[in-house]
Amino acid sequence: MSQLSREQVRSMMSEVMAKQGKELPADDATPLDSFGFRSLDFSELALKVEDEVDEELNFDAPGLRSIRTIGDVLDFVQQLLEAEE
Amino acid sequence: MSEPAGAGNRIVAGSFEGTWRDLAALEAPEASAFFVGSNIDALRAVWIHATHPGRETLVAAHSRKEAGLVEGLRVAGLATVDVDGDSVAVDPLPDPRPATPGRVWLLTSGSTGRPKHVAHTLESLTTVKGAQPPRTWLCPYTPGAYAWWQVTTLGLELADQAVVYVENDRLDDWAEIALEHGVDAASGTPTFWRQALMRSGDTLARIPFQQVTLGGEPVDQAVLDLLHEAFPSARVSWIYASSEAGASIAVHDGKAGFPEKWLGSEPREGRPRLSIDGDELVIASPHRGEGVDAELHTGDRVEIRDGRVLITGRLASDEINVGGSKVSASQVRETLLAHPGVAWANVKGRKAPLVGTVVTAEVVLADPATTEADLARWCAERLADYAVPRRFRVRDSIPIKESLKSDV
Repeated sequence: MSQLSREQVRSMMSEVMAKQGKELPADDATPLDSFGFRSLDFSELALKVEDEVDEELNFDAPGLRSIRTIGDVLDFVQQLLEAEE
Repeated sequence: MSEPAGAGNRIVAGSFEGTWRDLAALEAPEASAFFVGSNIDALRAVWIHATHPGRETLVAAHSRKEAGLVEGLRVAGLATVDVDGDSVAVDPLPDPRPATPGRVWLLTSGSTGRPKHVAHTLESLTTVKGAQPPRTWLCPYTPGAYAWWQVTTLGLELADQAVVYVENDRLDDWAEIALEHGVDAASGTPTFWRQALMRSGDTLARIPFQQVTLGGEPVDQAVLDLLHEAFPSARVSWIYASSEAGASIAVHDGKAGFPEKWLGSEPREGRPRLSIDGDELVIASPHRGEGVDAELHTGDRVEIRDGRVLITGRLASDEINVGGSKVSASQVRETLLAHPGVAWANVKGRKAPLVGTVVTAEVVLADPATTEADLARWCAERLADYAVPRRFRVRDSIPIKESLKSDV
């Protein structure tokens, strides 16, 4: 499985927002709801990551519920990717 | 021996060019299922059926032959006959039953389960009646399919209706074949026409089409508009037909769907009665197969918009549940097809975290400059948020199956 860096995942997140004409804030501590990052956006990001690594990831992990900020999303995806290695 | 009215019509199939009367004879038991390698083999089976009233016949392509199906046909009393040019291999039944005179069996596509065989006659398959303007038809369908029979009976039962058949392995070249043999009318699925316009638009523009017909898949306004633009002199019609329902709806006004006022009204003689149950199309057709429910629940989803009843796709595969919100795959597909940069689209659900399923789309671009962001924005302006495709896959070419459908 190819590994993705935190920056690459951030870039994908940025692409999800750009498609809607929105910009991803630079600060990882920014709450998701402050710039309109919703469940569907997270789903899209998940599929982008899966397609990139060509692997179905276990997004049902318990950590999913505690995601609040951009940094939480990036941490969570990194953990999943590491778990699959 | 009586001859059908079209016995002297011209047929072109592979290297054969002649009339029905010129077809080579075929010897086979009276009740036979013919598995054929080409259109000409299929036409020989049709001709002996048409000129020997005691016969009972099924015609299917070799590609459909599999053990379970053959066993079912033999249990039903049909000997199997493999025809491939000069090679005719008969597998007779040990204890043959008398044939049911005139019966023609059609295999359903089997896309929703095991193929069934539906009983017709040449008469029930001949849905175009009365004097017709002389035409040279193109038939790109697989031998034995309902649409193939519709074009074939047109060529057999009506005068001045020539037919040019295209073998499956020559489908890429059909425009050249049509041009060479003077075709001026053709029937195909929306996928078939989309692919042809994309691939062979220049050649197609030189074909003097008088009649262009679509069927076999949902017909959207975008493909009708494309065909009107490509063939301004042609009548563009769409039909709704299946082995079970028979040919049931024919619309010639250039619009998708049929007029809402057709619903529930008492039809003219020979026309079907159309109704809706929930959002399912129900048809009572005089052209239906024998033994088919008089009121056939078609499994096709309809919706009424601006006074038109639109047939949008199969009920069983249309609904995508995105986090509890229902999305109609056909509506999303139609929205994508309305984008000028899209030549073909397919929409389905894909498993995703948080919402369970998201909408995804495969597209073939008519304009390579079109981007995923363009399509997402186009959809976002026209659809609910949850119905906008979240992943796009761009294909190089339009996928097409032997049935001329794309159902990927």
